[in-house]
Amino acid sequence: MGDSVITVVAIALAAVLMFVFPLMTMTDRTDDVSQLTVSTATTEFVDDVRTTGKLTTEKYEKFVETISSTGNTYDVEMELKVLDENPGKKTTQAQATKIGENVYYSWYTSQILDSIEGNKSVLALKEGDIFSASVKNTNSTIGQQLKNFFYSVTGNDTYSIAAEHAGIVTANGSAKQ
Amino acid sequence: MKIQNLAVIFIIIILPISLTLSSYTKSQMQTLNLQISYDSKLDNATYDALKAFQLNTKNSSTSDIANSKLRDIEASVNSFFNSLSSNFNMAGYNQSILKTFVPALVYTMYDGYYIYSPYTNDLTSLSDEEKSKLQSNTKATYHNGDRITGLKPYIHYSCRYVKGNIDVVITYSLDNYITVQGTVGGEAVYKYGYLLDNVQVNGEDVYYRDLEIESEALTQYADDDPMDNGEVPYVKINGIKYYQDKFNSDSSKRNDWYSILNGEKINSDMKYKTNNEAAKQYYKEANEFSNWVKVNLVNLTGDDAVDENGDHTLTQRFGNGKIFDFGDKNDAIEDFDSDFNQHRLAVIRYSIEKNLSIAIANYNNYSSVQTNFQMPDLREDEWTKIINNVSIISFMQGLNIGGKVYNGYSIITNTKNEEVVTDESIYLVDNEQFYKPTDNSLDNSTTYIGVLNIDFDRRIALNDGTDITKYFFPKKQLASYSSIVNQFGENNIENDTYKNNIYKYIDSKGGNIAKAYYTALGRERYSMYKSHTNTDRRTFGTERKYEDDGLRAAYNHL
Repeated sequence: MGDSVITVVAIALAAVLMFVFPLMTMTDRTDDVSQLTVSTATTEFVDDVRTTGKLTTEKYEKFVETISSTGNTYDVEMELKVLDENPGKKTTQAQATKIGENVYYSWYTSQILDSIEGNKSVLALKEGDIFSASVKNTNSTIGQQLKNFFYSVTGNDTYSIAAEHAGIVTANGSAKQ
Repeated sequence: MKIQNLAVIFIIIILPISLTLSSYTKSQMQTLNLQISYDSKLDNATYDALKAFQLNTKNSSTSDIANSKLRDIEASVNSFFNSLSSNFNMAGYNQSILKTFVPALVYTMYDGYYIYSPYTNDLTSLSDEEKSKLQSNTKATYHNGDRITGLKPYIHYSCRYVKGNIDVVITYSLDNYITVQGTVGGEAVYKYGYLLDNVQVNGEDVYYRDLEIESEALTQYADDDPMDNGEVPYVKINGIKYYQDKFNSDSSKRNDWYSILNGEKINSDMKYKTNNEAAKQYYKEANEFSNWVKVNLVNLTGDDAVDENGDHTLTQRFGNGKIFDFGDKNDAIEDFDSDFNQHRLAVIRYSIEKNLSIAIANYNNYSSVQTNFQMPDLREDEWTKIINNVSIISFMQGLNIGGKVYNGYSIITNTKNEEVVTDESIYLVDNEQFYKPTDNSLDNSTTYIGVLNIDFDRRIALNDGTDITKYFFPKKQLASYSSIVNQFGENNIENDTYKNNIYKYIDSKGGNIAKAYYTALGRERYSMYKSHTNTDRRTFGTERKYEDDGLRAAYNHL
């Protein structure tokens, strides 16, 4: 009797050690690689947009394609902070010693996507604007599922792959290049 | 063997493998992440360098003159390294160490470029006596054979052409301005000017693309204006602005003109016209020069370009098409896709590529870093960026980033500067706002004036004797929300109708928009600094008569 209990425990342990453990390690590596792909792609995308001053449908689609190639689904959030120097210009008219009060106002993902869809496929940014993008996975990867199986890390906002990058736009974009 | 034993053996095998694998992947990831972060740091440092250059040149009226420009570029190099080192300080690199990883910085300017890289100070051209004097002088800054990091001499975007009785060097620029030096038909020539099609000169009347170009009255703020007096008349000659002292408290001086140097008024002993004819003069002279080129150089092809040894080895690079393909309104030489422009870009690219790869390869002799410095292959779109605007290219190589050696570069272009007037540098203003010429809210029933984009930026005002720096805007119009602050109301010209050609777009608009745009483009190009332009009035009517006459016609009271 005692022996068969030990055998059952041993088989269970062996199954965990021989299948689940390697599987977890593998899926963990896969997530690492996905993470790498996503952070590289995000940085490249943002840097490309900010050094050319242009966000095009093509660039955005290529970016989404690259991150989706990891086999996960992602939530891409973009924010464009548009620099408005007009308020500062109005203030300096009253006070010449003031170095201007520049105002930024923001455009978010859906507004940005609206403006690069359809026949107008270029969103031109200008020098001084700030562009940022952040990416999170929305599905749970196999690695996450396995982990959740052993130790629960579930919550509303769990993601294992995330990347973000932001920077100041360095060139005046235009429809002509 | 028991199953338990098998399990233990399995674990003994798998565990180390998985541990090594995971640490390997981690280190690879770290390397890649490091590479990405270095790329961003380099981008940011290059942008800081560009910003420094922009600020310094914008606030200095002498910024175009060579030695002052050198000073501005050196300041910009400093801010590059400062920014780089403050970004990298976290990783334990300081400025002097970082310098050893930067083989070259390139500043592309209007008609040539500077390379910042190390070189050996060479005094071999001095006489032995002078040399020994310098060598023995311990106080001398530089000695023969010293290794110095600095700006190398300015290299022009030029190319030599030999064909029949033509042997000339043509220097190109970022727009359609060229300089021709050499011999044509046995006679020495030294000519410079803009290449333009579609100009008609009829006595005093000048037409460009069938629109009459007229003289204009130009005004802007010269200083912070607390009394709210308003704009004053100004002229810009060879990059320097002269303002009429219209609101001087001393009424006898109100007809005098002055320029601004280091925040001080410098009175000019000249009086200038308030109706500016620079635009007319630009088109007139461009027409004259283009006609000369049409007669003398029109048969030159890419085939005739020769390398430094005088051999025709560049055909493959430049093709064998005609260089000066003058045409008409539909196919003009000033169009972006004209053969002339394609050839111009090819020459600029060839020159930069060649000298830069030499500079970077040479860096191996100066660097103690154990790496082979090589020029990276730049992408086609990056070249387009470089050769269409003033830009800074920075390279950083040889940093150890874990598994491999970092090799990165960054290209930042500058769309707001005093160096060049591109077809995008002109904004149109009405009383309230300024717009891009492609703004779709512009309409021909309003009168617009074209203004150079940097005139909307903040400047440092005249020094009023206090320690406080004051600022003002030369043009107080506000930025349009449809095409400047954001560009949602801008017409896209990247389509089949306009073929990315701003001239075609402007032509289709016609009327006030076209007139304001073409006038401003001509005026600003004519007024920018060029090393050939001689503004010294003592030589009026003597040397270089043709150009000085033009200047006089455009600006001066007689």
